[in-house]
Amino acid sequence: MRLLPWHKPHLLVRPNNLKLRKLNTMEYFIQQLINGLTLGGMYALIALGYTMVYGVIQLINFAHGEFFAAGGYVGAIALAYFAGIGYMDSHPVICLTASFMIAMAYCAYLAVGVEKIAYKPLRKNSRLAALLSALGMSIFLSNGMMLTQGVYDKVYPGELFQGRFDFGMVTISYLQIMIVSLTACLLVGLNLLVFKTKIGMAMRATAQDKTMSALVAIGSNKIISLTFAIGAGLAAAAGIMYGLYYGSVKYDMGFVPGIKAFAAAVLGGIGNITGAMIGGLIIGMVEIFGAGYISGEYKDVFAFIILIGVLYFKPNGIMGENIDDTRV
Amino acid sequence: MRKRVLSIMIMGLILVPFLFSAVAAKTLKIGSMSPLTGPYASDGTDIKNGARAAIEVFEEAGGMPGYDKIEFFPQDTACDPRQAVAAANKLINLEVVGVIGAYCSSSTIPSSETLDEEDVIMITPASTNEKVTDRGLPYMFRMCGRDDDQAPAAAKFLKESLGAKTIFIVDDKTTYSQGLADGVKKASIALGMEVVAHEHVNQGDKDFSAILTMAKRANADVFYMSLQGYSPAAMMTLQAKRLGMDSQIVTQDAVFQPKYMDVAKEASQGVYLTYGFTDQTTPQYKAFEERYVPKYGKIAAYATYAYDAATALLYAIKAAGSTDPEKVKAELMKLDFQGVAKKIKFNAKGDSGSSYIAYKVVGDKFVPYWEPVNGLIK
Repeated sequence: MRLLPWHKPHLLVRPNNLKLRKLNTMEYFIQQLINGLTLGGMYALIALGYTMVYGVIQLINFAHGEFFAAGGYVGAIALAYFAGIGYMDSHPVICLTASFMIAMAYCAYLAVGVEKIAYKPLRKNSRLAALLSALGMSIFLSNGMMLTQGVYDKVYPGELFQGRFDFGMVTISYLQIMIVSLTACLLVGLNLLVFKTKIGMAMRATAQDKTMSALVAIGSNKIISLTFAIGAGLAAAAGIMYGLYYGSVKYDMGFVPGIKAFAAAVLGGIGNITGAMIGGLIIGMVEIFGAGYISGEYKDVFAFIILIGVLYFKPNGIMGENIDDTRV
Repeated sequence: MRKRVLSIMIMGLILVPFLFSAVAAKTLKIGSMSPLTGPYASDGTDIKNGARAAIEVFEEAGGMPGYDKIEFFPQDTACDPRQAVAAANKLINLEVVGVIGAYCSSSTIPSSETLDEEDVIMITPASTNEKVTDRGLPYMFRMCGRDDDQAPAAAKFLKESLGAKTIFIVDDKTTYSQGLADGVKKASIALGMEVVAHEHVNQGDKDFSAILTMAKRANADVFYMSLQGYSPAAMMTLQAKRLGMDSQIVTQDAVFQPKYMDVAKEASQGVYLTYGFTDQTTPQYKAFEERYVPKYGKIAAYATYAYDAATALLYAIKAAGSTDPEKVKAELMKLDFQGVAKKIKFNAKGDSGSSYIAYKVVGDKFVPYWEPVNGLIK
């Protein structure tokens, strides 16, 4: 009998050391913890924008997820440009920083524009009108991105910052470290801004009473614009990190993380900055641990069960939403 | 009263030229259904482009006798069963003579029932779930293969060519992906391989780190990935590589789209997938390539099937000399020609045969690698 090629299966060449060792229970837990922190950090950055805007004008800005997607796109375009002119290989850190700046500035500008067009004219109307306007804006921006950037994924150039540390079988990538540390830095920075500066004081004053703060010469329109700009800038930063971490961006990428981040903001106590951070981390962790220990298909269910559970016992969220000092 | 009568008469006069032009310019209407928005918009756009290219070629070759032009109505299903049924109703109202679509099996199945009520011919270029043609609908045809052929071919490939002993299966719970994953699981067990886990993710997920860490711990020989569309598959491949998962990734026909390699980059290299065999050396394929690539970009999974589906429909209408569904169906059954993707010959069920082989990702190409009868392709 003629020996056909497939009679000798030989193609699965696998490294021997991996055959020998599998992740043990502890390593598995730590790996999932790292995955959860990364995802939660990203949710937290987006959640900050929801919470800040809600704190100041009591509006749930559903278009916020779209700022996140737009940031990812601008980052991809900027990085592709830098790679094209050859700066990427010589100065990767400068290029990345510049891309962050460009994307954050663009999204801040976009958010201010959206606020002026879609929300400001409705400020005197019922909250429902502004909410519907926000939903419409979300669809408009998402479809706008689809029409201008195409339906295919936009790829992030190169293998930028793709190194990783291996501790035994546990893997931590540079990007995971970057996402978690940048999220932590932004939280500290934002808290300093809100509680230690004059601008922060003005924001808190506007949040408490627009008329009263106007009487003491705080331009509430300016403060509201600033809040939108900061929130969108943070979402844009999350968008770029998302693009680097997952390798590509797509026009519809803002929707699901937007919903999750909104849930995170509510969970932490909407209007509360620290609450949004904690909420984001909890949603990310629950999702990853739910998928990793129970089943992948129910991970969203777990995230929202936690949300409903917390709101049932603590309707104002974990950190509470109406403590005037901590509210933006 | 008089004024009203007068105005109605004037309206009538204004409308008359339109009526005449409608009668004079006789158009043949063809519809397509595929996701043009949502997560599978890219795959759906390929289908639309493929069908449109077929109509353009047919019109340049002389068009349809008795008709001045062929009008094409691409509809968006968003891979949502409800929207697919709405799109089918819209196409029925437009009085199309045939529909190319849909993409997701979960859209094709309900919308085909709607089209069937009005006896509209539907040829799907992409829905591989066996139920699509197994329900005995008289006007349902399929250009691609069937999952109950793909699953055994894939299992055979895992066993005989890769020598796999353990398999980790992931799907994203669509009619197509889960049906196929279940099929592969069954076939693999029948061939004596061990399925260590069958996990699910959700449609629209971007973060797969939890499932991939699970797969890394399971450390199976093969990681079988059954996802709807190339985009989540590319993200999963890239994340698996970055997480240091070493199982051999094997996937399926929905990933046959060159964008997969753009998104997954180096991680895509050496990934295997099963997809219907297309002879890329035929003059038909070459002609299609010359025409399609400059206008729409790289040829992807379902563009060729959509092109063949639209071509078959137009040929059958031309041969029938009528748009009567019964006559067109009779002509469709008679068709026997070499298309771009495959040889077109429908069987009694409306299927046109499966020819699943394994491809390997090498550089930016899918290279034919293995076929079920003779093993490795040289």
